[in-house]
Amino acid sequence: MHNRASLILGVAIMICSGWAVYAASGWPWKAALFPMVIGIPVFCMAAAEVAWVLLGKNPAARAMDFQISSDLPEGLVIRRTLLAAAWMLGFFAVIVLVGFPVAVPLFVFLYLRLQGREGWLFSAIFSAIVWALFYAIFKWLLNLPFPAGWLF
Amino acid sequence: MIEAFFEGLLLVLQWKAFAFMLLGILLGFWVGLLPGLGGTTTLALMLPFIYAMQPIEGFAFLLGMHAVVATTGDITSVLFGVPGEGTTAATILDGHAMAKQGEAGRALGAVLTSSLVGAIVGAVALALAVPVVRPLVLSFGSPELFMIAIVGLAFIASLSAEGARGMLRGFLAGGLGLLVATVGQDPQAGVARFTFDSLYLWGGLDLVPVLVGIFAIPEIIDLAVRGTSIAGELPAGRLSKGAFEGVKDTFRHFWLTIRCSLIGTFIGIMPGIGGAVSQWLAYGHAAQSARTPEERKRFGQGDVRGVLGPGAANNSKEGGALIPTVAFGVPGSSSMAILLGGFFLMGLVPGPDMLTKHLTVTFSMVWTIVLANVITVAACFLFLNHLARLTSVRGQLLIPVILVLIFVGSYTSNSHYGDILVMFVFGAVGYLMVIGGWPRAPFVLGLVLGKIAENYLYISVARYEAAWLTRPIVLVLLALAVGVVLYPLIQSRRARSRKAQHA
Amino acid sequence: MKNALALVAALALAAIAPQAAAQFEGKTVTIVVGFKTGGGYDRTARILARHLPKYLPGKPNVIVQNMPGANSIIAANHVYGVAKPDGLTLGTFNRNLVLAQLTKVSGVKYDMTRFAWIGSAASESTVLAIRSDLPYKSFDEMRKAGKTVVIGATGPGANTYDFPLLLKELLGVDIKIVSGYSSSSDIMLALERKEVDGRAGSYSSLQTFVERGTVRPLVRARAVEPGIEKLPVDENLAPNARAKAIMALRSAPEVVGRPFVMTPGTPEPLLKAMRDAFAKAIKDPELIAEARKAKMDLEYMPGDEALRLVKEVLSQPKEVVDEFGKYIKFGE
Repeated sequence: MHNRASLILGVAIMICSGWAVYAASGWPWKAALFPMVIGIPVFCMAAAEVAWVLLGKNPAARAMDFQISSDLPEGLVIRRTLLAAAWMLGFFAVIVLVGFPVAVPLFVFLYLRLQGREGWLFSAIFSAIVWALFYAIFKWLLNLPFPAGWLF
Repeated sequence: MIEAFFEGLLLVLQWKAFAFMLLGILLGFWVGLLPGLGGTTTLALMLPFIYAMQPIEGFAFLLGMHAVVATTGDITSVLFGVPGEGTTAATILDGHAMAKQGEAGRALGAVLTSSLVGAIVGAVALALAVPVVRPLVLSFGSPELFMIAIVGLAFIASLSAEGARGMLRGFLAGGLGLLVATVGQDPQAGVARFTFDSLYLWGGLDLVPVLVGIFAIPEIIDLAVRGTSIAGELPAGRLSKGAFEGVKDTFRHFWLTIRCSLIGTFIGIMPGIGGAVSQWLAYGHAAQSARTPEERKRFGQGDVRGVLGPGAANNSKEGGALIPTVAFGVPGSSSMAILLGGFFLMGLVPGPDMLTKHLTVTFSMVWTIVLANVITVAACFLFLNHLARLTSVRGQLLIPVILVLIFVGSYTSNSHYGDILVMFVFGAVGYLMVIGGWPRAPFVLGLVLGKIAENYLYISVARYEAAWLTRPIVLVLLALAVGVVLYPLIQSRRARSRKAQHA
Repeated sequence: MKNALALVAALALAAIAPQAAAQFEGKTVTIVVGFKTGGGYDRTARILARHLPKYLPGKPNVIVQNMPGANSIIAANHVYGVAKPDGLTLGTFNRNLVLAQLTKVSGVKYDMTRFAWIGSAASESTVLAIRSDLPYKSFDEMRKAGKTVVIGATGPGANTYDFPLLLKELLGVDIKIVSGYSSSSDIMLALERKEVDGRAGSYSSLQTFVERGTVRPLVRARAVEPGIEKLPVDENLAPNARAKAIMALRSAPEVVGRPFVMTPGTPEPLLKAMRDAFAKAIKDPELIAEARKAKMDLEYMPGDEALRLVKEVLSQPKEVVDEFGKYIKFGE
């Protein structure tokens, strides 16, 4: 998993920096200088990283950062990760469809029920509290503009 | 000046001013804690309420609120791995790691105490700087500010993973951050860079959605995958015991805390650098205080020094940022710009007058910062047990709430769905980085320093042509930058030779 | 005859007022601001939001919503095309958006002439100010001295950059523009460091520094504000008609300094009620006192006048617009 992620990142950075340098070459020099001075070395470094990953030279590189807990079987980890990602994207989709104020309690309720397997009453009350706090702070106090959803 | 010092304290202790300060503290507590609310936005929204107040009361309220935001923002970072404020993201790296190991209490104790120390150092600096502040700030011109950005970028070397490969990935992350910082219209030729014809990207990427994405999303995924509470399977009893341990840690590493507070104050004094930078520089410096490469590896896994540094720095920078605001009428950060508006509302004109005629008011501000932080930290310690206990709540309950908060929090940057998309994109990037073992701190450094480095370089060259390279402070900073980059290499060489000697 | 007309007008107003009151009663009026909280446009909107309700029939609640992005183009697009023309949405955005429309900036989805114009709450004039310790006491002196004057700026599209640029390109003044400062306050600091010799900017933002004696204003743009009436105007010093037209084009939006509009198609009675409320609110003694404390100077310019100026800008001949576009880019 480490190597695949590094490979994806390396390739993605190569593409981004390559494209950035290409796009910058058409600009006046003042606007293009920084992107090129940074983009070219980044492209080369990313290429080196990709090469090293493909050549198999991978130390158990532990970054100064937290580690995803690795004491679960990989299949389970992948499944749960995809599920979490699906929930997040789903939340966003619901927001776009019905607008923030409706999406918030709906999402909390569904998550608690389906994923958290909490009881009906508990989920309903919890969602209501979250919704009330959300409404009070962000809508009433701060007047944030929440666009209407596509459906209603 | 001594009389003004004490008179300032008396002014704050008047019951009305004190009451308003408490109100401000109460407000600021929640603003810092909730990732959705930004300190700057709320500060601006509170401005109209101070029309009716006397200057001292108005300051007590605004400053009371503002001084507290950095402290409670750290709490969210430690407990949930979500940046409570844009300025408290660095605390996540070690603070949240500690929380996951069941040391939430200790991390909170450390962060609160170091915040207090930082706030006091910042306030003392404000008080002491009064006679020297003008020449100090005036001697740091654009070339010097550019070099400060370079020193900041040099810390990337220390924040990378170990080994040559680690360095490569660190610099890649930093380079990516620098590239991302160039998105938006450039201030030299007005070219819209990398905006894909989207109006949303015109002004560049906002820091908050990126930070929330890159830090909070991998945490949430991890929490969902583990299926447990944040603190894992550890028994609940241990959690709150640690708070006093955290306090002791602050004094165990007292000089580090002081040094990081000074870094924060210094960066705060320099206008134009921005509030998000000081925490990362402090983190980098704290990482360097590890004496061997093995020790440094522990950063990011729950080394308390990684909490002390940023905790102190993001409070001390507030005292520092007040200095140019008060002395020059030039705001040291965006929240200071709003405070400046407050000054005008109350009929006070910031400038040299604040250091002479209105010195008492200036000192009352110093005292407000100190008192507000003392009160907040004391209150937080009372609730520490309850706060730490949140880490033993089932993840399934926390996840929807955290998700709601970060979605709304990102959205408040521009009130545009693009904010949420940015959060997702960088959430994916952050997730890949964590899996691949790439360090995220260099990316953030590149992101926050990119624009500063570019703009000040152009200004320096345009104004001074080549002469700026020979300015004394520039040379000192250049040497510092080189030192910062070489330090980890020298350290590992020394460690290796020591091992060879003992072998 | 006059009495008859007055009677008719009064009856008409009496007929309109309950209609408008019915629309506003119990509702919330939203002012959409194209910038983040704390800036000049935002503060103007908020001070108006506090005092408008008393003068609006039905006494609705007035709130402010921030919709920053693309230098307020996003907010303008929203008020133009997304908001409903029910009189409950107002918009305020960058005064230079008319120039963005003129130079065909991509992403512009509005037409300034079709907004329901309420008017402008202030005019914001640009001045160029130089450090007081420099020997130049007038614009003429500065030009004749023959030394390069270093002017700090934030970036193309801001008056800190555009105003001196035109002085340099069209009047031939020896100016070096150093651009890239994060904000006008940073330029002021650089000025005190003697890194730059001066800066251009709105007079309201420079006023404190002028009063403190740090800088001295030397030349101004067309819009007049108390205190700078005697300064030479850049247009009047133009060497030819084309240069004058270009400078006038840059300055024109500044007269409509704080534009307030409603969605196209808003019913007449509602627009009229809003215009009346604005005019009265800006003269309200409480608002004036508050504004003075906040160092804001509000003055109402009726919607028709603002619309006329906007139409004038947009009807400039192609050659002028093309040459204008060579110097001035609409920016962040």
